[in-house]
Amino acid sequence: MILLQLAADGLLLGAVYALFSSGLTLIWGMMNVVNFAHGDFVMLAMYIAFFSFTLLKLEPIVFVPLAAVLLFALGGLVYYALVRHVMRGPMLAQILSTFGLALFLRYTALWAFSANFVSLPSGLVGGVYDLGGLRLAASHLIAGFSALLLTLGLHLLLTRTDLGSRMLAVSEDRVAAELVGVRPDPMQALAWGLGAAATGVAGALIALFFYVSPEVGNSFLLLAFVTVCLGGFGSVPGALLAGVAIGVIESFSAYWLGPATKDAVVLALFILLLWVRPQGLFGRA
Amino acid sequence: MKALFPRAGFAAGALLLFAAPFLTANPFYQRVAALTLLAAISASAWNVIGGYAGQVSFGHSVYFGIGAYAALLAYAKLGWPPIAGLPFGIVASFALSIVVGLPSFRLRGHYFSMATIAIAALAGILVTNWDFVGGAIGVMGPARARSFADLLFRSSLPYYAIFLCVLAILLLFTRLLQKSRMGFYLRAIGSDERVAQSLGVPVRRYKLYALLISGAFTSIAGTLYAVMVGFVDPNSGFGILISVNMVVMAALGGAGTLFGPLIGAAILVPLGEATNALWGARGIAYVAYGVIIMLLARFSPGGLAELGRFIVKGWRRRAA
Amino acid sequence: MLLEARGIVKTFGNVRAVDGADLAVEEGELVGLIGPNGAGKSTFFDCLAGNLAPEAGSIRFAGLESTRLSPDRHARLGLARTFQVPVVFAGMTVLENAMVGAFLRHESRARAAQKAAEALEFTGLAGQAEMPAAALGTAGRKRLGIARALATEPRLLLLDEALAGLTSSEIETAIGLLARIHARGITLLVVEHIMEVIHRLTRRVLVFHQGRVIAEGSPAEVTANPEVIRAYLGRRAKRGEA
Repeated sequence: MILLQLAADGLLLGAVYALFSSGLTLIWGMMNVVNFAHGDFVMLAMYIAFFSFTLLKLEPIVFVPLAAVLLFALGGLVYYALVRHVMRGPMLAQILSTFGLALFLRYTALWAFSANFVSLPSGLVGGVYDLGGLRLAASHLIAGFSALLLTLGLHLLLTRTDLGSRMLAVSEDRVAAELVGVRPDPMQALAWGLGAAATGVAGALIALFFYVSPEVGNSFLLLAFVTVCLGGFGSVPGALLAGVAIGVIESFSAYWLGPATKDAVVLALFILLLWVRPQGLFGRA
Repeated sequence: MKALFPRAGFAAGALLLFAAPFLTANPFYQRVAALTLLAAISASAWNVIGGYAGQVSFGHSVYFGIGAYAALLAYAKLGWPPIAGLPFGIVASFALSIVVGLPSFRLRGHYFSMATIAIAALAGILVTNWDFVGGAIGVMGPARARSFADLLFRSSLPYYAIFLCVLAILLLFTRLLQKSRMGFYLRAIGSDERVAQSLGVPVRRYKLYALLISGAFTSIAGTLYAVMVGFVDPNSGFGILISVNMVVMAALGGAGTLFGPLIGAAILVPLGEATNALWGARGIAYVAYGVIIMLLARFSPGGLAELGRFIVKGWRRRAA
Repeated sequence: MLLEARGIVKTFGNVRAVDGADLAVEEGELVGLIGPNGAGKSTFFDCLAGNLAPEAGSIRFAGLESTRLSPDRHARLGLARTFQVPVVFAGMTVLENAMVGAFLRHESRARAAQKAAEALEFTGLAGQAEMPAAALGTAGRKRLGIARALATEPRLLLLDEALAGLTSSEIETAIGLLARIHARGITLLVVEHIMEVIHRLTRRVLVFHQGRVIAEGSPAEVTANPEVIRAYLGRRAKRGEA
């Protein structure tokens, strides 16, 4: 029974990992740029959720979409103001640009919100349900299932719509896309916007059951790296599989080895994977 | 004559600048000066692999931590003066470069940077959970000097002098490197690995050489830090911000230039200490770091060195 | 035989980019390798230079089994190459770029600088030696690519579309340069997709199509070969539809 419980917890958490990792993998696959500020996007979304509730008394049904909209705008802004100018520049500039953004966001948050951990009230979206012996918190269920749906939605958007195929066209060949009348910049800004919005939703959902602090982004960044690497760089379905797998691995290693070492297990897995299969476990060579 | 004058003037100015801490009696300034040189040592060490060879490591804190822990463990476990830990730190840094660095060189660009972040985070967790090295509490150095070898001084000036010597050795070494085949090979690797390899550069071997040098000097910086401060814990030894400092300082002054990291340190350390003294918070300095890096990446990826060359060029053009 | 490749296969996912390709180049030859875009020439080329490991087949260079040797080992053995997209080491001067090549056989900085300067002289870049390499235009970059490769003192030089993207007068200069390199006794394998250029340069041409060599002979022979015409025309017909 305990194994089933651990698996269920891991699956629900993993779906949320999948959602915010899809945001990272989307940007990556589209333009070969790693957003080192990705974890801090999650952090921002968590604070948006927290302050929407505590200051504006907004319900989750309002603040989750709000986080998506605000992060969408942030993603577009970051693309136009920063990434567009460095993405074809030297590697150092590419890496430093989003890394600088990460420092800026993290320490501005530290300065503005202080280093204290805060969290939303635990019963905000209902209590804990008992499903035939499985104890599942409503917050986990809601977060897990919405994340699952949105990740699938993002995948469908990319593969089944006209907009998606135009975005993919730009990612495959910028010049060719321009020749057939697709302007690359709006498409890539849209990719940043969508990626950030997915991250925003994920962050707001995580805030339902996880504490917020200015430095919380660092562990989410590493989790997203692991997920994207495991799932294959640029693949949303890969991120979904990998996110769920990592959620389950974390959940089990926390149980068997203690919560302090669960991050170590995931990180060690990540490093080994990068060494052995840099293209990702499900990715193609 | 024209060419000689700026060089002599530059040398005299630099000499005066480096002697300045001996001319002031203010212990705060002396301490800031010593910390600046220490930061310049680690940033210059990072520069060998991160600047010249273009492998942007965010994991150099691990080398720094190894050096710092080697010093204080030599004292805590063996009763030796902390500085005696120096060779242990260097040997451990070599081992780390070979065991962890070498496989990471399969990764290029962003992937390498990601791996180094993960490695540093993993090292931090391991040290925090390892009771033998003091766990989350860390390790203390000697409280009072038992002999001169403990290198415990009330004033920052002796440290300043030591750091200056080490920095001079490192920069001299880097200068020789720059002029040699290895320097050319590292710059070629940093610019385009594939082309470098097609010209006969054994890329992985040269990256490893660069990392061995870079890691050893970073570990020396860690040892010196521990000798001066007399305390290290997982955060002050292995924290991500230690790597961040090295990267930002080198990038600001000019990654892959000889004096870039020193210039970066000379700007950012006093800035950090000043904001610290004024607002009592370190965070503000990092907000500024973030903005500085973004501006650099956007407008002048070669750092101040590039900006300086650009200005000099424009000035000459107007003069001509 | 200086370079010999047999049954080379390289696939990417489901695409067989190189599908059983053979090739043999004698010391002192100047061989052209042509084929329509997407024929797999560049992939084959990467296999020959050690940049890609083929899944099947074997390559011998200078009497040695070289199939799985790294590109730097190839360079040491005397095989140099240029790249289709002419990349320069951006932070260096033109001379320093060439010095990276020259260091392969000369450890001393002064010797390397001298050898590099000779290579620049030979390729007509001596006047730009102290310029930052990034300031060169396409033609200059291509020439620097050749100079850098020559500085490694190769026996065989593989040129990947050294003429693509050049103006007609630049092509004239480049053809002259290639002829002079050949006259120095360096074996050349030149990949191009423009047939006209190859005509003037070589006496032996290999035609590459769908991952293998489909024809071989003098430029006149291969252009008269119906299979070659079909390969080039088929391509054009397909493009016409799209």
